[in-house]
Amino acid sequence: MRAEIQKIQQMMEAADYVTDPAIATSVHLAMTLKKPLLIEGHAGVGKTEIAKVMARMLETNLIRLQCYEGLDAAQALYEWNYPKQLLHIKLEESTTHTLREKEAAIFSEPFLIRRPLLQAISQVGKAPVLLIDEVDRADEEFEAFLLEVLSEFQVTIPEIGTVKTAHPPYVILTSNRVRELSDALRRRCLYLWIDFPGFDKEVRIVMRKVPGVNEALAREIARFMESLRTIRLAKVPGVAETLDWAQALASLHADHLDEEVVLETLGCVLKDADDVKRFKRELTASGLKRFAAAEG
Amino acid sequence: MAGPRDLTTAVLRFGRMLRAAGLPLTTGELMDGVRALAVVDLLDRRDVYLALRTTLVARQEEFPAFDRCFEAFWRFQAEEGQGLDGLLTPTEPAIPEEHAGNTGAEAAQKKVSVALEGWEEQGDDDGEPLEVPGVSDKEILMDQDFSTFPVEDLDEVARLTILIARRLARRISRRKRPTRRGGVIDLRRSIRANLMKGEIIELRRRERRRRKIRLVLLCDVSGSMDLYSRFLLQFLYALQNVFGRVETFTFSTRLTRVTEHLKGASYRQALAKLTEVRDFSGGTRIGESLQEFNARWGRLVDRHTIVIVLSDGWDTGEPEVLATEMLAIKRKAGRLIWPNPLLGNPSYEPLTRGMAAALPLVDHFAAAHNLASLRDLAGHLNLR
Repeated sequence: MRAEIQKIQQMMEAADYVTDPAIATSVHLAMTLKKPLLIEGHAGVGKTEIAKVMARMLETNLIRLQCYEGLDAAQALYEWNYPKQLLHIKLEESTTHTLREKEAAIFSEPFLIRRPLLQAISQVGKAPVLLIDEVDRADEEFEAFLLEVLSEFQVTIPEIGTVKTAHPPYVILTSNRVRELSDALRRRCLYLWIDFPGFDKEVRIVMRKVPGVNEALAREIARFMESLRTIRLAKVPGVAETLDWAQALASLHADHLDEEVVLETLGCVLKDADDVKRFKRELTASGLKRFAAAEG
Repeated sequence: MAGPRDLTTAVLRFGRMLRAAGLPLTTGELMDGVRALAVVDLLDRRDVYLALRTTLVARQEEFPAFDRCFEAFWRFQAEEGQGLDGLLTPTEPAIPEEHAGNTGAEAAQKKVSVALEGWEEQGDDDGEPLEVPGVSDKEILMDQDFSTFPVEDLDEVARLTILIARRLARRISRRKRPTRRGGVIDLRRSIRANLMKGEIIELRRRERRRRKIRLVLLCDVSGSMDLYSRFLLQFLYALQNVFGRVETFTFSTRLTRVTEHLKGASYRQALAKLTEVRDFSGGTRIGESLQEFNARWGRLVDRHTIVIVLSDGWDTGEPEVLATEMLAIKRKAGRLIWPNPLLGNPSYEPLTRGMAAALPLVDHFAAAHNLASLRDLAGHLNLR
């Protein structure tokens, strides 16, 4: 493995992010090739976390754009501060400034609200990490707009002029696949798919993040989660659920899994009524052994 | 050790192989692949694999094809007994096939080779009053069941289908829907307009942006349904510019996503894929196919989506499964439409167990057996 990738892996581990070669390689490529990285995977596998860790590693700041349905350019790029503009017009009422002067005044820098994309582009000093979170939630039109911004890294504000970046940001996009993203956007980005962690990785994550859990219990938890994910569930639990659960077990001072403690803490893992029903059915049918089968 | 130029050649060759395996790679991606190899350890197979996968793959579904190609490329190199330098040998390994041998399906496909090619490009007939049959000698054509046309007429019928669809597309996209009065307030323009007045007196508004409707098509391609599926697909693809997105799946005993195959240059070739999945021995398992759809592709359906299931309802699976999965779709979708070609037969009643289970959940149950019924179907492609 290339030394740089190894170093990234070490740095990520040092930042409490349990990683694997695929993730480290993608991050390495995103940083050296300066290409946006699209990360997909189930909810709760640590997609967003990568951007945070990356910002920490690069010792730069993280700018986050949370996407949602109906998000438009004004909310993502920039907006004029309307209340302030109104107030200014009001205060200027009695002055003798011309229309042109008034206009120039209220459409100037102090009245501009910089939204995440403009912030990322106009950053001075060091290139920031720009996290475009859950891009699949935004509309298709927004995706097209994003594509344009990501390829140019410059924005024209009619009243002020063109803002061009001095330090193109490192861009991380995440998607939960609520909607299929366009090929244009996909093929413009580097791609990383984060699956649910394998057994060993999940053990490491639990041990790292929840100090009160010993290795035997961590292994039991990981084994349980592994087999739980093989049942057809409406909401398959991710790593976030594993950690919540481990935390709960730790605070109950549980040192192994039994039926009682599992049922007591089930709410940490399964968050859908039908899933709980289905799980309980499986549990009565084949007992806890089905989920905590001996290793190997 | 391979030089940068040789590396480029190697990546381009690998890219050719990936393209042949169905990955729509861009040149930009290939150049990224070359750049990526320059910053990883070329002697470490995993580094090379991850670097190329990160740059060349754009969705999880492409992983298996990528892995197959990478494996073949690399094994080929290993056989040559070389390291990465072996990438430069002129001969190329064959593209690994997922499943080989579709000659039977191909022959079956030829029988009904409906010409679907080229319609997408030739859409410039605007303004020209297209005479789509009203009351004329073509009326008979409109009402004739697709399956009763002689094979040699199918091309002509296909052409007519497209003409009707195009005309409808223009009508649908022109249709103004009642808007909430005034739309949303446009503060930016309001401020500008009221600059000298000291306060906002006159509000400027802009029309609220509308989302385009998306379509998800699930087409039964078992046995006699194949022909009807073709016409429906053809019809809806000619309408596709009206919609935000059209996703297409075919099923008989299992589900196949064919959206990607229906895109791009060779439409005729792509349509061969429709029959590829046909299983002549078994019946249709609608319930199981929908179950697979919900599990793997459920995310494509939201309240802005119209889901269309074309089938005759002859389900050899369990009706309970069908009902459960239909309900799951109905809960999420904006609209659920079930065109059934058998409805064209006046004596038909939806009494099959599968149909009876699904029917209460369907928003619109329609025929789809002739041109007139397809035209009527278009009237239902909206969300209330």
